[in-house]
Amino acid sequence: MVLLVGVLVLLVSLVVVIVLAAILTPGRDTSSTLLQWKGRGTTKNLREVVLGRCYNYITMVNPELGNKDCLKIWETLQDAFMYKNPCNITTDDYQPLMDLARHPVPCNKSLFWSKTNELVHRYTKIDHNFLTLEDTLLGYIADQVSWCGDPAGPGINYESCPKWTECESNPSTVYWKMASKMFAEEACGVVQVMLNGSIDAGAFRSSSIFGSVEIFNLDPNKVSTIQIWLMHNIGGPKRDSCTGYSITRLKSILEERNFIVSCEDNYRPVWLFQCVSEPGHEDCRLCFCGIQ
Amino acid sequence: MDRTSCFRARNTPKWRTCRGSGRVFGGKVLLFSKDFSGVDGKKWKGEGTTPNLDSIIIGRCYEYIRIVNPAVGEKNCSELLEAFKKAFMNKDPCNILPSDYELFINLSQHSIPPNKSLFWENNQFLVSSYAARTRRYMPLGDTLIGAFGDLLNWCGQANNTEVDDSCPTTEECENNAVESFWRIASINYAKQSSGIIHVMLNGSATGGAYPLKGFFADFEIPNLQKERISQIEIWVMDDIGGPDLDSCGKGSVQTLETQLKEMGYDITCIDNYKSVLFLLCLDHPDHPSCPVVSSALSAQRGCVFSDQGGSWNRLTLISFAAFVLQIHFNLLNQFA
Repeated sequence: MVLLVGVLVLLVSLVVVIVLAAILTPGRDTSSTLLQWKGRGTTKNLREVVLGRCYNYITMVNPELGNKDCLKIWETLQDAFMYKNPCNITTDDYQPLMDLARHPVPCNKSLFWSKTNELVHRYTKIDHNFLTLEDTLLGYIADQVSWCGDPAGPGINYESCPKWTECESNPSTVYWKMASKMFAEEACGVVQVMLNGSIDAGAFRSSSIFGSVEIFNLDPNKVSTIQIWLMHNIGGPKRDSCTGYSITRLKSILEERNFIVSCEDNYRPVWLFQCVSEPGHEDCRLCFCGIQ
Repeated sequence: MDRTSCFRARNTPKWRTCRGSGRVFGGKVLLFSKDFSGVDGKKWKGEGTTPNLDSIIIGRCYEYIRIVNPAVGEKNCSELLEAFKKAFMNKDPCNILPSDYELFINLSQHSIPPNKSLFWENNQFLVSSYAARTRRYMPLGDTLIGAFGDLLNWCGQANNTEVDDSCPTTEECENNAVESFWRIASINYAKQSSGIIHVMLNGSATGGAYPLKGFFADFEIPNLQKERISQIEIWVMDDIGGPDLDSCGKGSVQTLETQLKEMGYDITCIDNYKSVLFLLCLDHPDHPSCPVVSSALSAQRGCVFSDQGGSWNRLTLISFAAFVLQIHFNLLNQFA
């Protein structure tokens, strides 16, 4: 009888211990405990979008990459940020992904840019003689989507992600810096850069990704010349130009590394492209000057 | 290469040579360079189903509703893909009808914002470039339905035993999976269009800018909803350096204009619409048809401007104003 009671007590206490353990163990919290940031959250259906883009890229855009494993690429991307504090992302986190997805770029086609995001990408959608980072696999899958993780479950934050101003080591900034470095390393022959001559504080800035990452990762053994396209907005202020101070500074930095540098104000095809959106503007008037 | 326009140029005896007539615009040739001619041992003459079709389509579907055009609202992309595949999987690839896609169309259709519709013939890449993924216009290729099919190829097999790497061409049989898809997609697109309708035609195309047998003529015009359309605007674009075979008021374009007027539509027609012309000129910046200078340079070169609303109109206005003022002064002097 005493034995029975003893066994019963043991069983009950075991159950109590288990129940207590379940309640008190910090399990996966609900999403209400996610960290909150100022930037837009992870894109919904990120997995489907990234996978679809990857397959589209290796099948249709650049079939030479047919041997890339898109599923593996997605998994290494996921591993890079899920369940991690999005202010603590390092280059090590993304290295496996970079190694899997990197690929060579044809010579003379690399097009860098700074403060001309919309223009340069609209332009390369039309003119396939040039490729920006976003026309390579790494850029293609990440363009216009965002992602970040969170230590709490489900490990991914769809509500918000940190902006650069909140912390620099966030998933987006680290990704684009690494991808930009790689894009510069792959460049060869003549490379181009589109800069904005209508903005304040100079077309070339040392603090931009172009000024701080890309120019220092161009390989002088592979890249011979850098052509600068200094674009003004249609009807926009002409604050900087090829003869301006920031371009002179850029030239000297590049020449010191043994690159040949040339610069053109308002490179004609891009100027024409800008006129598509402003056909009635004074700067876009069709002029027939007796050329025949 | 311009595969979709190959399918859209069907019913012309030369449709299989449309690879040449499909415009390669902006030096853009898809790196996807498989040949159209059949390889020996394959059942059909056309290319096989695009590899990774399911993943590509699902990705495009979510990309469309999350990024390109979120106004479309929530859609279940897996459900859409299933309905799409149901139309042709495990069926005779020569017996797929447009109506087989009806469930898919019902699930995936969405309205086109008024004034954003852009129809076309013989200039697929130009249209796609100009529309800029719904930023300027929303051609069929920039709709959710278009995202499912654009530049892709697919077909099923009746027995589903062997996987064959080929699909029938429209020449081999008209009721194939891809052809029927674009037919019903075009019909639906026309029905969803409203406001000012735009049509971009190719004034340098052999056989005429407006093909009498084509998707626009056979499936789109008959399905336009007249009561919801205010105007139809036609743009006839010539290739830079290309022949001016057709233009507004001439040839097949005139046939189109007459046909639409008789149907009761209000029509305008523009040759070499300027905004699109700039886009064409990207590839030929120094061509005589493409001289563009900023106003600063123009003074130096002593240029004469040809555009409407240019300096001539201003000059005329000023002269007229001066004339009127002069008359007033004369009258005042007379009465003073």
